[in-house]
Amino acid sequence: MSGRVIVITSGKGGVGKTTTSANIGTALAKAGNKVVLIDTDIGLRNLDLLLGLENRIVYTIVDVVEERCKLKQALVKDKKNPNLSLLAAAQTRDKSAVTEEQLKDICETLKKDNDFILVDCPAGIEQGFQNAIAGASEAIVVTTPEMSAIRDADRIIGLLAAREEIVTYKLLLNRVRPNLIATNDMMSVEDVVELLACELIGIIPEDTGIISSTNKGDPIVNDDKSLAGQAYRNVAKRIMGEEVEFLNLEEDKNILGKIKDFFEKKIKEIKAKI
Amino acid sequence: MSFFTDFYNKVFSFFKPQENPESNVKDVARSRLKLVLMQDRTNLTPKILEQMRGELIDLLSKYVELDKDLLELNFEQEGDQVALMLSIPVIRAKDEKEIEEALKKDALIKGIQLAEDEEDIEEIEESAETNNNDNENSSEETIDNSANTELCNETEESVETENNSESSADNDTSNEEHENNNEKEENQEQNTSSN
Repeated sequence: MSGRVIVITSGKGGVGKTTTSANIGTALAKAGNKVVLIDTDIGLRNLDLLLGLENRIVYTIVDVVEERCKLKQALVKDKKNPNLSLLAAAQTRDKSAVTEEQLKDICETLKKDNDFILVDCPAGIEQGFQNAIAGASEAIVVTTPEMSAIRDADRIIGLLAAREEIVTYKLLLNRVRPNLIATNDMMSVEDVVELLACELIGIIPEDTGIISSTNKGDPIVNDDKSLAGQAYRNVAKRIMGEEVEFLNLEEDKNILGKIKDFFEKKIKEIKAKI
Repeated sequence: MSFFTDFYNKVFSFFKPQENPESNVKDVARSRLKLVLMQDRTNLTPKILEQMRGELIDLLSKYVELDKDLLELNFEQEGDQVALMLSIPVIRAKDEKEIEEALKKDALIKGIQLAEDEEDIEEIEESAETNNNDNENSSEETIDNSANTELCNETEESVETENNSESSADNDTSNEEHENNNEKEENQEQNTSSN
Protein backbone atom coordinates (compact mmCIF):
# COMPACT_ATOMS: atom_id res chain seq x y z
CA MET A 1 0.00 0.00 0.00
CA SER A 2 1.20 3.48 -0.76
CA GLY A 3 -0.83 6.15 0.96
CA ARG A 4 -1.32 9.74 -0.06
CA VAL A 5 0.29 12.45 2.04
CA ILE A 6 -1.85 15.60 2.13
CA VAL A 7 -0.79 18.73 4.00
CA ILE A 8 -3.47 21.08 5.32
CA THR A 9 -2.14 24.60 5.43
CA SER A 10 -3.28 28.24 5.34
CA GLY A 11 -0.64 30.82 6.16
CA LYS A 12 -2.91 32.74 8.48
CA GLY A 13 -3.84 31.32 11.85
CA GLY A 14 -7.38 30.78 13.03
CA VAL A 15 -8.96 30.01 9.68
CA GLY A 16 -9.70 26.39 10.58
CA LYS A 17 -6.72 24.23 9.60
CA THR A 18 -6.96 21.97 12.64
CA THR A 19 -10.76 21.74 12.46
CA THR A 20 -10.45 20.84 8.79
CA SER A 21 -7.78 18.22 9.49
CA ALA A 22 -9.84 16.61 12.23
CA ASN A 23 -13.01 16.54 10.14
CA ILE A 24 -11.56 15.39 6.85
CA GLY A 25 -9.49 12.76 8.68
CA THR A 26 -12.55 11.47 10.53
CA ALA A 27 -14.67 11.46 7.38
CA LEU A 28 -12.03 9.58 5.38
CA ALA A 29 -11.66 7.02 8.17
CA LYS A 30 -15.44 6.59 8.46
CA ALA A 31 -15.52 5.86 4.74
CA GLY A 32 -13.23 2.90 5.39
CA ASN A 33 -9.77 4.34 4.78
CA LYS A 34 -6.85 3.91 7.11
CA VAL A 35 -5.89 7.42 8.14
CA VAL A 36 -3.10 8.94 10.23
CA LEU A 37 -3.32 12.56 11.33
CA ILE A 38 0.00 14.26 12.10
CA ASP A 39 -0.01 17.41 14.20
CA THR A 40 3.12 19.39 13.28
CA ASP A 41 2.21 22.42 15.38
CA ILE A 42 4.87 21.65 17.97
CA GLY A 43 4.47 23.81 21.05
CA LEU A 44 0.85 24.68 20.24
CA ARG A 45 -0.83 21.35 19.76
CA ASN A 46 -4.60 21.23 19.45
CA LEU A 47 -5.55 18.42 17.10
CA ASP A 48 -5.72 16.02 20.08
CA LEU A 49 -8.38 18.25 21.68
CA LEU A 50 -10.55 18.40 18.59
CA LEU A 51 -10.51 14.63 18.32
CA GLY A 52 -11.07 14.13 22.05
CA LEU A 53 -7.80 12.21 22.42
CA GLU A 54 -5.93 14.58 24.74
CA ASN A 55 -5.94 12.19 27.70
CA ARG A 56 -4.54 9.27 25.79
CA ILE A 57 -1.32 10.75 24.45
CA VAL A 58 1.78 9.10 25.80
CA TYR A 59 4.40 9.74 23.13
CA THR A 60 4.66 12.59 20.65
CA ILE A 61 6.35 13.18 17.31
CA VAL A 62 9.41 14.55 19.15
CA ASP A 63 9.70 11.30 21.11
CA VAL A 64 9.67 9.46 17.78
CA VAL A 65 12.45 11.50 16.16
CA GLU A 66 14.54 11.41 19.34
CA GLU A 67 14.06 7.65 19.43
CA ARG A 68 12.44 7.36 22.83
CA CYS A 69 9.75 5.23 21.26
CA LYS A 70 8.83 3.50 18.02
CA LEU A 71 6.58 5.26 15.51
CA LYS A 72 3.81 2.69 16.06
CA GLN A 73 3.82 3.26 19.80
CA ALA A 74 3.26 6.99 19.31
CA LEU A 75 0.16 6.53 17.14
CA VAL A 76 -2.98 7.00 19.24
CA LYS A 77 -5.92 5.08 17.88
CA ASP A 78 -9.37 6.68 18.03
CA LYS A 79 -11.63 4.24 19.90
CA LYS A 80 -14.78 5.40 18.12
CA ASN A 81 -13.08 5.11 14.78
CA PRO A 82 -10.35 2.44 14.73
CA ASN A 83 -9.27 3.41 11.20
CA LEU A 84 -8.11 6.75 12.51
CA SER A 85 -4.96 7.42 14.51
CA LEU A 86 -3.13 10.52 15.63
CA LEU A 87 0.55 11.35 15.87
CA ALA A 88 0.48 14.23 18.33
CA ALA A 89 2.81 17.21 18.52
CA ALA A 90 4.90 17.84 21.62
CA GLN A 91 3.60 20.70 23.73
CA THR A 92 6.82 21.58 25.53
CA ARG A 93 9.18 22.03 22.59
CA ASP A 94 9.33 24.24 19.50
CA LYS A 95 9.37 23.82 15.72
CA SER A 96 13.13 23.21 15.62
CA ALA A 97 12.67 19.92 17.51
CA VAL A 98 11.90 18.20 14.20
CA THR A 99 13.65 18.58 10.84
CA GLU A 100 12.26 18.37 7.32
CA GLU A 101 14.14 15.13 6.71
CA GLN A 102 12.74 13.52 9.84
CA LEU A 103 9.17 14.40 8.88
CA LYS A 104 9.73 13.12 5.38
CA ASP A 105 10.94 9.81 6.84
CA ILE A 106 7.90 9.53 9.12
CA CYS A 107 5.56 10.15 6.17
CA GLU A 108 7.40 7.58 4.05
CA THR A 109 7.07 4.97 6.80
CA LEU A 110 3.39 5.71 7.43
CA LYS A 111 2.61 5.59 3.70
CA LYS A 112 3.36 1.86 3.69
CA ASP A 113 0.34 0.81 5.73
CA ASN A 114 -2.11 3.71 5.52
CA ASP A 115 -4.35 5.14 2.82
CA PHE A 116 -4.09 8.76 3.89
CA ILE A 117 -1.61 10.75 5.95
CA LEU A 118 -2.99 14.19 6.75
CA VAL A 119 -0.45 16.70 8.00
CA ASP A 120 -1.87 19.57 10.06
CA CYS A 121 0.43 22.51 9.37
CA PRO A 122 1.12 25.35 11.82
CA ALA A 123 0.35 28.97 10.86
CA GLY A 124 3.10 30.99 9.21
CA ILE A 125 5.62 30.29 6.49
CA GLU A 126 8.65 29.54 8.65
CA GLN A 127 10.28 26.30 9.74
CA GLY A 128 7.03 24.73 10.95
CA PHE A 129 5.48 25.17 7.51
CA GLN A 130 8.61 23.89 5.75
CA ASN A 131 8.56 20.81 7.99
CA ALA A 132 4.88 20.13 7.39
CA ILE A 133 5.11 20.24 3.60
CA ALA A 134 8.35 18.24 3.48
CA GLY A 135 6.76 14.83 3.03
CA ALA A 136 3.57 15.87 1.25
CA SER A 137 2.68 15.48 -2.40
CA GLU A 138 -0.74 17.13 -2.13
CA ALA A 139 -1.98 20.19 -0.31
CA ILE A 140 -5.25 21.71 0.81
CA VAL A 141 -5.09 25.46 1.36
CA VAL A 142 -7.68 26.57 3.89
CA THR A 143 -8.89 30.15 3.72
CA THR A 144 -11.89 32.27 4.66
CA PRO A 145 -13.53 35.02 2.57
CA GLU A 146 -11.57 37.70 4.45
CA MET A 147 -8.86 40.04 3.24
CA SER A 148 -5.95 38.87 5.35
CA ALA A 149 -6.76 35.17 5.04
CA ILE A 150 -6.91 35.46 1.24
CA ARG A 151 -3.69 37.41 1.02
CA ASP A 152 -1.88 34.85 3.17
CA ALA A 153 -3.39 31.99 1.19
CA ASP A 154 -2.03 33.58 -1.97
CA ARG A 155 1.47 33.57 -0.48
CA ILE A 156 1.10 29.93 0.50
CA ILE A 157 -0.15 29.02 -2.98
CA GLY A 158 2.91 30.74 -4.43
CA LEU A 159 5.21 28.74 -2.19
CA LEU A 160 3.43 25.47 -2.94
CA ALA A 161 3.46 26.13 -6.68
CA ALA A 162 7.22 26.63 -6.57
CA ARG A 163 7.69 23.25 -4.95
CA GLU A 164 8.06 20.33 -7.32
CA GLU A 165 7.12 17.67 -4.76
CA ILE A 166 3.62 19.15 -4.38
CA VAL A 167 1.69 17.72 -7.32
CA THR A 168 -1.70 19.28 -6.61
CA TYR A 169 -3.03 21.95 -4.30
CA LYS A 170 -6.65 22.86 -3.85
CA LEU A 171 -8.60 25.50 -2.02
CA LEU A 172 -10.97 24.93 0.86
CA LEU A 173 -13.10 27.97 1.61
CA ASN A 174 -14.08 27.91 5.24
CA ARG A 175 -16.52 29.93 7.35
CA VAL A 176 -18.63 31.11 4.43
CA ARG A 177 -21.59 33.21 5.53
CA PRO A 178 -24.30 33.20 2.85
CA ASN A 179 -26.34 35.91 4.57
CA LEU A 180 -23.38 38.33 4.39
CA ILE A 181 -22.68 37.39 0.78
CA ALA A 182 -26.33 38.08 -0.07
CA THR A 183 -26.05 41.64 1.29
CA ASN A 184 -22.72 42.17 -0.52
CA ASP A 185 -20.85 42.49 2.77
CA MET A 186 -18.68 39.45 2.15
CA MET A 187 -16.83 38.28 -0.93
CA SER A 188 -18.54 35.41 -2.68
CA VAL A 189 -17.03 32.01 -3.37
CA GLU A 190 -16.58 33.00 -7.02
CA ASP A 191 -14.72 36.18 -6.00
CA VAL A 192 -12.24 34.25 -3.87
CA VAL A 193 -11.68 31.58 -6.50
CA GLU A 194 -11.10 34.26 -9.14
CA LEU A 195 -8.64 36.16 -6.94
CA LEU A 196 -6.61 33.12 -5.96
CA ALA A 197 -6.91 31.27 -9.28
CA CYS A 198 -6.98 27.94 -7.48
CA GLU A 199 -9.27 24.94 -7.86
CA LEU A 200 -11.86 24.46 -5.12
CA ILE A 201 -12.17 21.30 -3.09
CA GLY A 202 -14.76 22.47 -0.60
CA ILE A 203 -17.00 25.23 0.66
CA ILE A 204 -17.75 25.03 4.37
CA PRO A 205 -20.49 27.26 5.80
CA GLU A 206 -20.00 29.01 9.11
CA ASP A 207 -21.63 26.76 11.69
CA THR A 208 -22.02 27.41 15.40
CA GLY A 209 -22.11 23.65 15.80
CA ILE A 210 -18.31 23.69 15.32
CA ILE A 211 -17.92 25.36 18.70
CA SER A 212 -19.88 22.72 20.56
CA SER A 213 -18.25 19.91 18.59
CA THR A 214 -14.81 21.25 19.58
CA ASN A 215 -15.96 21.55 23.18
CA LYS A 216 -17.09 17.93 23.12
CA GLY A 217 -14.00 16.69 21.29
CA ASP A 218 -16.19 15.16 18.61
CA PRO A 219 -15.67 16.34 15.00
CA ILE A 220 -18.77 17.78 13.34
CA VAL A 221 -18.70 15.21 10.52
CA ASN A 222 -20.14 12.81 13.09
CA ASP A 223 -23.26 14.98 13.24
CA ASP A 224 -25.49 13.89 10.37
CA LYS A 225 -27.72 16.95 10.61
CA SER A 226 -25.00 19.60 10.45
CA LEU A 227 -24.52 21.42 7.15
CA ALA A 228 -20.82 21.98 7.87
CA GLY A 229 -20.50 18.27 8.63
CA GLN A 230 -22.12 17.48 5.30
CA ALA A 231 -19.74 19.86 3.55
CA TYR A 232 -16.72 18.16 5.16
CA ARG A 233 -18.02 14.72 4.22
CA ASN A 234 -18.28 15.97 0.63
CA VAL A 235 -14.66 17.16 0.76
CA ALA A 236 -13.59 13.69 1.88
CA LYS A 237 -15.53 12.17 -1.03
CA ARG A 238 -13.82 14.52 -3.47
CA ILE A 239 -10.43 13.55 -2.05
CA MET A 240 -11.36 9.92 -2.70
CA GLY A 241 -12.06 10.83 -6.32
CA GLU A 242 -15.85 11.06 -6.30
CA GLU A 243 -17.55 13.90 -8.08
CA VAL A 244 -19.81 15.66 -5.64
CA GLU A 245 -21.63 18.92 -6.31
CA PHE A 246 -20.96 21.83 -4.01
CA LEU A 247 -23.67 22.51 -1.46
CA ASN A 248 -26.12 25.25 -2.28
CA LEU A 249 -25.57 27.68 0.56
CA GLU A 250 -27.86 30.43 -0.64
CA GLU A 251 -30.15 31.74 2.02
CA ASP A 252 -33.79 30.86 1.73
CA LYS A 253 -35.39 33.86 0.13
CA ASN A 254 -38.53 35.54 1.31
CA ILE A 255 -41.76 35.31 -0.66
CA LEU A 256 -41.00 38.36 -2.80
CA GLY A 257 -37.58 37.02 -3.71
CA LYS A 258 -39.10 33.72 -4.72
CA ILE A 259 -41.70 35.41 -6.89
CA LYS A 260 -38.97 37.47 -8.53
CA ASP A 261 -36.90 34.37 -9.21
CA PHE A 262 -39.94 32.72 -10.76
CA PHE A 263 -40.58 35.65 -13.09
CA GLU A 264 -36.94 36.00 -14.00
CA LYS A 265 -36.86 32.37 -14.99
CA LYS A 266 -39.99 32.80 -17.10
CA ILE A 267 -38.61 35.90 -18.80
CA LYS A 268 -35.41 34.08 -19.63
CA GLU A 269 -37.42 31.24 -21.15
CA ILE A 270 -39.47 33.65 -23.22
CA LYS A 271 -36.37 35.51 -24.37
CA ALA A 272 -34.72 32.25 -25.34
CA LYS A 273 -37.71 31.39 -27.51
CA ILE A 274 -37.62 34.75 -29.27
CA MET B 1 -41.83 42.76 -24.47
CA SER B 2 -39.43 45.50 -23.39
CA PHE B 3 -42.37 47.39 -21.92
CA PHE B 4 -43.19 44.40 -19.81
CA THR B 5 -39.63 43.91 -18.53
CA ASP B 6 -39.26 47.64 -17.79
CA PHE B 7 -42.48 47.66 -15.86
CA TYR B 8 -41.48 44.54 -13.99
CA ASN B 9 -38.08 45.99 -13.05
CA LYS B 10 -39.70 49.20 -11.88
CA VAL B 11 -42.16 47.37 -9.68
CA PHE B 12 -39.47 45.29 -8.06
CA SER B 13 -36.99 48.10 -7.63
CA PHE B 14 -39.74 49.89 -5.76
CA PHE B 15 -40.04 47.07 -3.26
CA LYS B 16 -36.35 46.36 -3.07
CA PRO B 17 -34.31 48.21 -0.44
CA GLN B 18 -32.19 50.90 -2.07
CA GLU B 19 -28.65 49.75 -2.64
CA ASN B 20 -25.96 52.31 -2.18
CA PRO B 21 -23.09 51.50 -4.56
CA GLU B 22 -20.54 52.94 -2.12
CA SER B 23 -21.69 50.61 0.62
CA ASN B 24 -20.93 47.57 -1.49
CA VAL B 25 -18.22 46.32 0.81
CA LYS B 26 -17.66 43.20 -1.23
CA ASP B 27 -16.50 45.11 -4.31
CA VAL B 28 -14.24 47.32 -2.25
CA ALA B 29 -12.63 44.26 -0.69
CA ARG B 30 -12.23 42.60 -4.05
CA SER B 31 -10.58 45.51 -5.78
CA ARG B 32 -8.29 46.19 -2.82
CA LEU B 33 -7.23 42.57 -2.74
CA LYS B 34 -6.75 42.42 -6.48
CA LEU B 35 -4.22 45.22 -6.31
CA VAL B 36 -2.43 43.96 -3.23
CA LEU B 37 -2.14 40.42 -4.61
CA MET B 38 -0.66 41.72 -7.85
CA GLN B 39 1.89 43.70 -5.89
CA ASP B 40 2.70 40.70 -3.70
CA ARG B 41 3.11 38.45 -6.72
CA THR B 42 5.18 40.77 -8.85
CA ASN B 43 7.14 42.69 -6.20
CA LEU B 44 6.36 45.89 -8.10
CA THR B 45 5.61 48.87 -5.90
CA PRO B 46 3.24 51.63 -7.05
CA LYS B 47 6.26 53.94 -7.39
CA ILE B 48 8.05 51.59 -9.76
CA LEU B 49 4.84 51.08 -11.74
CA GLU B 50 4.49 54.83 -12.13
CA GLN B 51 8.08 55.10 -13.30
CA MET B 52 7.52 52.30 -15.78
CA ARG B 53 4.44 54.08 -17.07
CA GLY B 54 6.39 57.31 -17.53
CA GLU B 55 9.19 55.63 -19.42
CA LEU B 56 6.75 53.82 -21.67
CA ILE B 57 5.07 57.11 -22.52
CA ASP B 58 8.42 58.65 -23.42
CA LEU B 59 9.32 55.74 -25.62
CA LEU B 60 6.00 55.40 -27.42
CA SER B 61 5.48 59.09 -28.01
CA LYS B 62 8.51 59.08 -30.31
CA TYR B 63 6.39 57.17 -32.79
CA VAL B 64 2.78 58.08 -32.06
CA GLU B 65 0.93 60.95 -30.52
CA LEU B 66 -0.94 59.49 -27.59
CA ASP B 67 -3.37 60.59 -24.94
CA LYS B 68 -1.19 60.33 -21.88
CA ASP B 69 -3.97 60.87 -19.37
CA LEU B 70 -5.92 57.92 -20.66
CA LEU B 71 -2.99 55.52 -20.88
CA GLU B 72 -3.64 52.59 -18.61
CA LEU B 73 -1.15 50.14 -17.26
CA ASN B 74 -2.64 47.19 -15.43
CA PHE B 75 -1.90 43.68 -14.38
CA GLU B 76 -4.48 41.15 -15.31
CA GLN B 77 -4.74 37.62 -14.24
CA GLU B 78 -5.54 34.81 -16.60
CA GLY B 79 -5.55 31.51 -14.78
CA ASP B 80 -2.33 31.36 -12.82
CA GLN B 81 -0.50 33.69 -15.20
CA VAL B 82 -0.15 37.40 -14.74
CA ALA B 83 -0.23 39.56 -17.85
CA LEU B 84 0.83 43.17 -18.19
CA MET B 85 -1.95 45.01 -20.00
CA LEU B 86 -1.19 48.34 -21.62
CA SER B 87 -4.01 50.30 -23.14
CA ILE B 88 -2.83 53.25 -25.26
CA PRO B 89 -5.28 55.70 -26.77
CA VAL B 90 -3.54 56.88 -29.96
CA ILE B 91 -4.49 60.32 -31.20
CA ARG B 92 -2.60 59.96 -34.47
CA ALA B 93 0.43 58.21 -35.85
CA LYS B 94 3.43 60.41 -36.58
CA ASP B 95 4.82 60.63 -40.07
CA GLU B 96 8.32 59.56 -40.99
CA LYS B 97 9.75 63.04 -40.70
CA GLU B 98 8.46 63.51 -37.19
CA ILE B 99 9.70 60.14 -36.08
CA GLU B 100 13.11 60.88 -37.49
CA GLU B 101 13.16 64.19 -35.68
CA ALA B 102 12.13 62.58 -32.42
CA LEU B 103 14.79 59.94 -32.76
CA LYS B 104 17.42 62.56 -33.50
CA LYS B 105 16.39 64.51 -30.44
CA ASP B 106 16.53 61.35 -28.43
CA ALA B 107 20.05 60.65 -29.64
CA LEU B 108 21.04 64.21 -28.84
CA ILE B 109 19.63 63.96 -25.34
CA LYS B 110 21.46 60.72 -24.82
CA GLY B 111 24.63 62.38 -25.98
CA ILE B 112 24.15 65.15 -23.45
CA GLN B 113 23.40 62.59 -20.80
CA LEU B 114 26.63 60.80 -21.59
CA ALA B 115 28.55 64.03 -21.48
CA GLU B 116 26.94 64.84 -18.17
CA ASP B 117 27.79 61.45 -16.80
CA GLU B 118 31.39 62.00 -17.66
CA GLU B 119 31.29 65.35 -16.00
CA ASP B 120 29.55 63.83 -13.03
CA ILE B 121 32.53 61.61 -12.48
CA GLU B 122 34.76 64.62 -12.48
CA GLU B 123 32.37 66.42 -10.20
CA ILE B 124 32.30 63.53 -7.78
CA GLU B 125 35.98 63.92 -7.40
CA GLU B 126 35.55 67.61 -6.77
CA SER B 127 32.52 67.67 -4.50
CA ALA B 128 30.21 64.76 -3.77
CA GLU B 129 27.51 66.84 -2.14
CA THR B 130 26.35 68.94 -5.07
CA ASN B 131 26.19 65.86 -7.23
CA ASN B 132 23.90 64.09 -4.80
CA ASN B 133 21.52 67.00 -4.83
CA ASP B 134 21.39 66.96 -8.61
CA ASN B 135 20.52 63.30 -8.72
CA GLU B 136 17.75 63.65 -6.21
CA ASN B 137 16.25 66.52 -8.13
CA SER B 138 16.25 64.71 -11.42
CA SER B 139 14.66 61.54 -10.06
CA GLU B 140 11.86 63.50 -8.46
CA GLU B 141 11.20 65.34 -11.65
CA THR B 142 10.88 62.25 -13.77
CA ILE B 143 8.21 60.91 -11.46
CA ASP B 144 6.31 64.18 -11.32
CA ASN B 145 6.44 64.62 -15.04
CA SER B 146 5.21 61.20 -15.93
CA ALA B 147 2.36 61.49 -13.47
CA ASN B 148 1.15 64.86 -14.57
CA THR B 149 1.75 66.77 -17.75
CA GLU B 150 0.85 70.06 -16.14
CA LEU B 151 3.50 69.55 -13.54
CA CYS B 152 6.19 68.99 -16.09
CA ASN B 153 5.61 72.44 -17.55
CA GLU B 154 6.15 73.95 -14.13
CA THR B 155 9.26 72.00 -13.34
CA GLU B 156 10.62 72.73 -16.75
CA GLU B 157 10.96 76.39 -15.95
CA SER B 158 12.75 75.73 -12.72
CA VAL B 159 14.99 73.23 -14.37
CA GLU B 160 16.17 75.62 -17.04
CA THR B 161 18.49 77.32 -14.64
CA GLU B 162 19.84 74.05 -13.34
CA ASN B 163 22.27 71.74 -14.90
CA ASN B 164 20.05 68.75 -15.62
CA SER B 165 17.89 69.38 -18.65
CA GLU B 166 17.67 65.75 -19.57
CA SER B 167 14.40 65.02 -17.81
CA SER B 168 12.66 68.15 -18.98
CA ALA B 169 13.83 67.62 -22.53
CA ASP B 170 12.60 64.08 -22.38
CA ASN B 171 9.17 65.21 -21.47
CA ASP B 172 9.09 67.89 -24.07
CA THR B 173 9.39 65.31 -26.79
CA SER B 174 6.37 63.56 -25.44
CA ASN B 175 4.50 66.76 -24.82
CA GLU B 176 3.35 69.42 -27.26
CA GLU B 177 6.31 69.04 -29.48
CA HIS B 178 6.07 71.89 -31.90
CA GLU B 179 5.61 74.53 -29.27
CA ASN B 180 8.42 73.29 -27.17
CA ASN B 181 10.96 72.87 -29.92
CA ASN B 182 12.38 76.33 -29.48
CA GLU B 183 12.49 76.14 -25.73
CA LYS B 184 14.35 72.91 -25.88
CA GLU B 185 16.99 74.24 -28.14
CA GLU B 186 17.46 77.07 -25.72
CA ASN B 187 17.69 74.52 -22.97
CA GLN B 188 20.34 72.62 -24.71
CA GLU B 189 22.27 75.72 -25.55
CA GLN B 190 22.17 76.75 -21.94
CA ASN B 191 23.29 73.36 -20.98
CA THR B 192 26.26 73.25 -23.22
CA SER B 193 27.22 76.76 -22.28
CA SER B 194 26.93 76.04 -18.59
CA ASN B 195 28.89 72.88 -19.06
